[in-house]
Amino acid sequence: MTASLDSGLLVALQHADSQFPSGGFAFSQGLEASSQLAARLGACNFEDFLDVQLRHRWAGADRVALTRAYRLAGDLAKLTELDLEVEASTFVEGLRTGSRRNGAALLTTHSRIGTTGAAPYRALIGEGKALGHLAVVQGLLWRALGLEETTAVAMGGYQAAASLATAAVRLGLVGAIQSQAMLAKALPVIVEVSSTPVADDEPLRSFTPLAEIAVALHGSSGQRLFSN
Amino acid sequence: MNMQPGVSISSSSRVGAARIGIGGPVGSGKTALIECLIPAFAKRGVSLAIVTNDLVTAEDAERIRRSGLIDPARVAAVEAGACPHTVIREDPTLNIAAADELEARFSDVELILIESGGDNLASTFSLDLVDWWMFVIDVAGGGDIPRKNGPGVLKCDLLVVNKTDLAPHVGVDLARMERDSAKARAGRPLVLTNCRAGQGIDAIVDQILAKVLFR
Repeated sequence: MTASLDSGLLVALQHADSQFPSGGFAFSQGLEASSQLAARLGACNFEDFLDVQLRHRWAGADRVALTRAYRLAGDLAKLTELDLEVEASTFVEGLRTGSRRNGAALLTTHSRIGTTGAAPYRALIGEGKALGHLAVVQGLLWRALGLEETTAVAMGGYQAAASLATAAVRLGLVGAIQSQAMLAKALPVIVEVSSTPVADDEPLRSFTPLAEIAVALHGSSGQRLFSN
Repeated sequence: MNMQPGVSISSSSRVGAARIGIGGPVGSGKTALIECLIPAFAKRGVSLAIVTNDLVTAEDAERIRRSGLIDPARVAAVEAGACPHTVIREDPTLNIAAADELEARFSDVELILIESGGDNLASTFSLDLVDWWMFVIDVAGGGDIPRKNGPGVLKCDLLVVNKTDLAPHVGVDLARMERDSAKARAGRPLVLTNCRAGQGIDAIVDQILAKVLFR
């Protein structure tokens, strides 16, 4: 007997794949800065950095924004308000800008392939009426694709971890194979932190001071490979 | 069957400024070529904007902004995250977004030049990003480059062999390099340039006007 495939799973695989054009490869969320400023800020260990980002940034901020955006079910006016919350709660300019650029890049692809809500939200960004932070855009688009909320959260968590892992490889901090072992260790962390419920008005919280200080210090550096 | 309820799969044409890519190895003279193209297009009345993809931050963008040749606001920089090929081919979304933004801010823009961040010979531009692209190699990089049959050399719409003035100083037989380039490209367009003396620039502009802007 052949088991039938779950089409939702295939859709999730397509959209969580790093091959899906989203601009995510150009951002390191402070990993590049932390690794280059280790002499000033302390040793940068990728495994620890990944764990901190998932527990203290993604879990309370990006995951919450994504979940709330998903539940807004394409209500663009309310999504713009959530976007403002993300803006206000992201302290460092480099991370704020990076999140907006990454969101705009993801919307670019979805606008071209015709995902519901993508073109109108992109137009709002162009008119200066929306900011387009990545987590908000992910919630909007992945809901429009018919994915389950838990699937969308899993995709967001996976992409957050996987994009850091690829950045670590390109920065020469870990090997490509080693990075997969570290990513495997991060998956249970994503499951664990995602078990905390998200209320519809859940505030956004994060606490990653060292990474933020590193991004702030690195902002004016002439030697950056990544956008942040 | 479309298994994605939120996606309407259709092809749509983009309306707006034409976009051309300028790729090529690091040091082949892409930025210098752009510095020659800016005044040449201005003479022909073509309104420009520029996107650069620097390997490290905004070095090339800053050079062009400070050149005094173009309004600095018309130059955008996109970081390539250590992936100069990805940002123009596998995932051009950041460049598309930057070009869209320039187009929205400057409604008179007819042509957007997108400079890659320095590649090897395997680099090619996605046609999601550009309508037409050129690949710049240089004489000092080695007279044998055309014989290596890199995808950049073979697939581009126009091959530019730059720094022709250096040929006698680096032991390159320029005539042979030109013959090898023409052979590799099977007769597709090829221009020899010496940006320091402005040689060959008008030939490139002529190609772009004819093949991209249909003038």
